[in-house]
Amino acid sequence: MIKRYLFALCVLLLLLLVACGGQDTIDDSGSTEGEVVEPAAEATTPEEAAPEPSEPVQVRIGWGGSPDSLNPGLGVLTEAYTMYELLYDSMYQLELDGSYTLELAEDVQVSEDGLVWTYTLRDGVTFHDGEPLTAADVAFTYNLYAEQVDFPFLPVYTDYFDTVEAPDDKTVVITLSEAIPNIESQLVFLYVLPEHIWSQVDNPAEFENLEMIGSGPFKMREYKQNEFVILDAVKDHYLYPPKIDGAVFQTFDSQDALVQALKTGQVDMITEMPNTAVVSLRNEPNVEVVTGPPLAPSLDDIILNVTEPENCPADDGVCSGHPALLDRDVRLALAHATDKQQIIDVVLLGLGSPGLTLVPDGLPAFYNSSIEDYAYDPDLANQILDDAGYLDTDGDGVREMPDGANPLVFRLNWPSDSTKYPRTAELLSASWGEIGVETEQQALDPDTLTAICCPTFDYDVLLWGWGSDPDPAFLLSVMTTDEIPTGTSESGYSNAEYDELYVQQATELSLDKRIDMINRMQEIAHHDIPYIIPYYDQAVQAFRTDRFQGWLTDAGKIELSDITSLVVIEPVGQ
Amino acid sequence: MRRSRYIARKITWALITLVFVITLNFFLFRVLPGDPARAGIHDPRLKKEAVEAIRVRYGLDKPVINCFQTLNPVEFGDCLVNPLETQFFIYVGNLLQGELGISYHTNRPVSSMLGEMLLNTILLIGLGQILAIVLGMLLGILAAWKAHTTIDYAALLFSLTAWSLPTFWLGIILLFIGSSQWGLPIGGRITPGMTYENTWQQIVDMGRHLILPTITFTIVFLGEYMLIMRSTVLDVLSEDYILTAKAKGVSNFQILKDHALRNAMLPMVTIIALNLGFTVSGAIQIEAVFSWPGLGGAIYTAVGRRDYPLLQGAFLLIAVSVIFANLAADLLYSYLDPRVQET
Repeated sequence: MIKRYLFALCVLLLLLLVACGGQDTIDDSGSTEGEVVEPAAEATTPEEAAPEPSEPVQVRIGWGGSPDSLNPGLGVLTEAYTMYELLYDSMYQLELDGSYTLELAEDVQVSEDGLVWTYTLRDGVTFHDGEPLTAADVAFTYNLYAEQVDFPFLPVYTDYFDTVEAPDDKTVVITLSEAIPNIESQLVFLYVLPEHIWSQVDNPAEFENLEMIGSGPFKMREYKQNEFVILDAVKDHYLYPPKIDGAVFQTFDSQDALVQALKTGQVDMITEMPNTAVVSLRNEPNVEVVTGPPLAPSLDDIILNVTEPENCPADDGVCSGHPALLDRDVRLALAHATDKQQIIDVVLLGLGSPGLTLVPDGLPAFYNSSIEDYAYDPDLANQILDDAGYLDTDGDGVREMPDGANPLVFRLNWPSDSTKYPRTAELLSASWGEIGVETEQQALDPDTLTAICCPTFDYDVLLWGWGSDPDPAFLLSVMTTDEIPTGTSESGYSNAEYDELYVQQATELSLDKRIDMINRMQEIAHHDIPYIIPYYDQAVQAFRTDRFQGWLTDAGKIELSDITSLVVIEPVGQ
Repeated sequence: MRRSRYIARKITWALITLVFVITLNFFLFRVLPGDPARAGIHDPRLKKEAVEAIRVRYGLDKPVINCFQTLNPVEFGDCLVNPLETQFFIYVGNLLQGELGISYHTNRPVSSMLGEMLLNTILLIGLGQILAIVLGMLLGILAAWKAHTTIDYAALLFSLTAWSLPTFWLGIILLFIGSSQWGLPIGGRITPGMTYENTWQQIVDMGRHLILPTITFTIVFLGEYMLIMRSTVLDVLSEDYILTAKAKGVSNFQILKDHALRNAMLPMVTIIALNLGFTVSGAIQIEAVFSWPGLGGAIYTAVGRRDYPLLQGAFLLIAVSVIFANLAADLLYSYLDPRVQET
């Protein structure tokens, strides 16, 4: 019994050893046949650098995630949106400089009152299955997004649509309920779906959409969640015919593996990497590292609980914020005691730009660069607190409120799923400590953090972040009084002039006037300091210079996996 | 007769454990804080109607069980609702029909997701475990036979080091060496986008991807098996019947094979069965380093997203495999050592 058991195990072991040995010899012969992936010989010989003509020219992209859903209505993760961008078309394309160009439409007319938008579609647009894309598909799609309430994000972009109609095959007429200045940013994420497929779907909110039939310059070949996505190029695309034959997105769970994959040439480009790897990759031959503002700007914020008692939400509000935070002098002192450059240097290893307000520099048209930020100056901060009557009366190193009670001890919380915030918190604690402000730090599960944040306002200071739309309207709404009870406002900030400007800019059709209003709003928010913005994030990506050329690295923002790069790159040496 | 009663008792216990696990599995995740309809989408742009529609789609609008609307925060509800309309009995009912539900995160059927990942995990764990068990046992026997010699000390040192190495660290080191020195793939299960001319090429490609994770797995788990094997064989070798066998002139090989090994198998079987549960968690780290699309990584993401159906399915799967491994070990005991039936 035992004898046989052991014998079987030994045979198995032997077989395994033989199998492993066998593989090695086969691989050796394989490399001479010019396999696509052969890191051992990477880029040292010319025939390896340029794939043979018979082989399809695929760009291999390494990233850390994987699309959560191929259904544009359901996707949440950035990786899912990367796919939608490549496989679907929408009315507009967001360019890397932040401007919009027409994509599906060749012409647009708007009525004088700004309510009726008439789009004329381009000729020869077809879906991947050969069916033509007509105005009826567009109207069907927009109405679907508007009606499908359990799609988490897209219905928001149809909020101002009154009706969408297709009087003929080429014409789409959108009638708005209110004239808005930013219809481009509403339409850019509304990916046009084929009516002949989606109208057959029982419940679009449960549709996996594995075939992902769209009209974009790439089409789906194979998708294995958390492993890879393989796309084929649509060589006869009406607008952006790719020069390559296809793209492979491979998921790497570990960031170190991602960097190593680029170094050994197993991938041609990586969409993310730890900032710690930048120096070593810059020294690597045949690798170029690019940094810059990301296509979808993001920022981290230090949120101060400034909820006035009269604004405390009646239903959910706890509003336990430290009373000192309601005093602008205290907030001003905290701003002067925050060393943003140090945080950027230590936490981001220098790869970030100093923050100002919730409108990031990644939205250059709207970012108010004329605002002068509060300089890091602990002496000034101390002076401000002294003058305002916050003194350390009991000599324990922590200041008290002017009435002598309630020491300036702030709870400082952040989401536990981030690696950046713990270090930021440490630095803040040290630099705020210099002005007699103590912090009680604790990382919290994101759900718990949501529960204490808003609209309960059961905190003092939070570290968290935002990603931005291409239009600043949403991030501006975060600071309005109306959003305090909804949970969108994180700080409980309220300012009547700001609220008024927010309403005005939402319907201001002149871009210049709208920008003036938005600039003024940033000035108000910066003056009142409900937030201290330590930095705006930068995208850090890298590609191999010996495989493909033409990556868009100086067109404004950085996103190498965006359609703008993938339809123009071509193999090196061709 | 006695053996069949023993087997029946063990199977009954396994079934009772299973029912307990199924129940616990359901309530465990529901007492955790967090709303699955919002988890993973920490974005206030999500409208109230959208959250409500998502809750209805997931069936989260129904009471958890009679008298309880939700468990975290605890909210009492109607005790007289039809039990079949509560989340718990819907879950049990679906389970009885073999339905594990739809993942909240990916909107795909949990059973097909688990199927794919389980296969990958079994491949990785299976290979690694077999290698670790065989090599560990051989090394253990060798060390025990050559006890207190240089060979023994070297084997001990190696095993202790291997056992205490952090899995993650060892994996990263092997990944760097393997990819830059031996040209092995850095991660994943296959080379995506590669066109295979025949099945053999496909097997070879997958085999190449398996080499590094398997080596890591083997090294990490080998030490434990070696140490246990060594100490039990040493124990057995000091028994009187070994001396008798030696006196009878039985060869060394025969003594090891027929006397020492058989008696040393009992603790090994126990450890192997127990380890089966831990290997899934041990594999999480290896899967993460080598981007191996297995169960471990999926569970990790599912916790963050409060993906109840996937979590329930995965935990059920792990629980079932541990229960069965233990059942198998119990049954094996009765053959290895007939005395256990009497207890």
